[in-house]
Amino acid sequence: MNDTAATRRPEAGDHASSASGPWPVTLDNVTVRYPNGVVALKDVSLSIGAGEMVAVVGLSGSGKSTMIRTINGLVQPTQGSVTVGPHAMTALRGAALRRARGDIGMIFQSFNLADRTSVYRNAMVGRFSHTPTWRTLLGIATAEDRDIVMRALDSVGMLEKVWGRAGALSGGQKQRVAIARALAQEPAVMLADEPVASLDPPTAHAVMADLSDINADRGLTVLVNLHLMDLARQYTTRMIGLRAGEVVYDGPAASATDADFEQIYGRPVQQRDRLGEK
Amino acid sequence: MTAADATVAPGAALAIPPRPRTWPRAVAIGAALVAVTVATTIPAIGGVEIDLGAIARNWTNGLDRIGQMLTPDWSILPRTWQPLLETLEMALVGAAISAVLAVPLSLWAARPTNPNRVTRRAVRFVLNVVRAVPDLVYATVLVAMVGVGTLPGIITLILFDVGIVVKLVSEAIDSADAAYMEAGRAAGGNQTQINRVTALPQSWPAIASQVLYSLELNVRISAILGLVGAGGIGRLIDEMRGFYRYDALGTIVLEILVVVIAIEIASNLLRKRLR
Repeated sequence: MNDTAATRRPEAGDHASSASGPWPVTLDNVTVRYPNGVVALKDVSLSIGAGEMVAVVGLSGSGKSTMIRTINGLVQPTQGSVTVGPHAMTALRGAALRRARGDIGMIFQSFNLADRTSVYRNAMVGRFSHTPTWRTLLGIATAEDRDIVMRALDSVGMLEKVWGRAGALSGGQKQRVAIARALAQEPAVMLADEPVASLDPPTAHAVMADLSDINADRGLTVLVNLHLMDLARQYTTRMIGLRAGEVVYDGPAASATDADFEQIYGRPVQQRDRLGEK
Repeated sequence: MTAADATVAPGAALAIPPRPRTWPRAVAIGAALVAVTVATTIPAIGGVEIDLGAIARNWTNGLDRIGQMLTPDWSILPRTWQPLLETLEMALVGAAISAVLAVPLSLWAARPTNPNRVTRRAVRFVLNVVRAVPDLVYATVLVAMVGVGTLPGIITLILFDVGIVVKLVSEAIDSADAAYMEAGRAAGGNQTQINRVTALPQSWPAIASQVLYSLELNVRISAILGLVGAGGIGRLIDEMRGFYRYDALGTIVLEILVVVIAIEIASNLLRKRLR
């Protein structure tokens, strides 16, 4: 990297438009009822401290995808409110909501990259909320944005693929690019929706370790949706168990017993609830 | 209790569910189609009149002309080069300009790239109207408006091409998986930014493929547009037809056939490389 990159540390609050420090996340009596009548979240109240690393555990259909999406406003609650740092997410609309989302990074189970374009352009998506629309339309990035994107790709070891096509990458590489895309936002909070469910076990552990580093080194508040009990125990400090849209467990992750998991799953623990060793 | 325990031992009779009877329905549908088709040819109930006798009375007439066309008069060839080139130029310019117009319109006409129902429907409605007007009507009106020549022909081709390219591309976008949209939205992007950086590159193959298709169509159409004075080889076709030079007409038709096939082969090759 060049000199400016070396002198500019990736600390949050580094420049005016980025989020400052890790933020707490609060859910206050949040209920989500979808138009088809399904109640995905029932009166959930949670308080997540700044800089925590939290696993949200539950089977598919437990409401954990919905819950994580209420935090960045991809899903709006029918009742209740969500606060992320200074942003009252549930009260925001339009440009204010987009600015707030810019401070919250998110990665997905299926990576959600645009496969036909380059890794660089995919990572540039992370700069959307800090970029005027005319610049995006003309494809003219500022030197600063370019620098942020390159450093984000470098931090996940994907810099050498920067000009390659995203669709040509392996699953683990795609998720790394997706992490770089989220880091390019210079967020204060990182959300991850089943980030390793489409990956093989060694890659899954590598991606979980990346998330752990993001929490430890960059000091971001991290919320990660998981359905595997051993990953939750190994990589996170606090665990929230969801079942049928309600919080059924909230406590330390490492000491959660099999009985606790049985309560979350609503059935005995099975072999497929564990990923296995590295 | 695994799946293997539940399977039947080899050799035992399988409990195959009875196969549903579908042939009565197929026969009924076939009979209905035949009945409707027959009904449309009975003038007494408002169907079209098909006078098969007319073929017997006039067939020698047509046979003469076909006979002339099958013995092409190659001496017309030198006169065709210039109008043929004009036709190709019209086709290319029309396809190029329509491609530029079709890119934003396709994104505005597709649901994932334009969630706003009002503007999406407005764009679709206008394009439905554009598509509903026959190309010869455009050409006739435009010749009256801007004068005889290639310009009305090119504008006609642009209108025609935009109509079909936008329809086919926006339908392709509608049916494609657009998970990357969610990532753009989560990063705080607005729809324009998401479309520019992710949806557009994802849609390139569909856009390029349909524009190549419109180029093929343009050569065929611009051969006709000359009939109403909108330039191209159609002008020569009209002239030869007026002089009953069916042998010369045969040459021109063969020439157009060769050009259309050449463009089709070229665009097929290009399309394969787009995948």
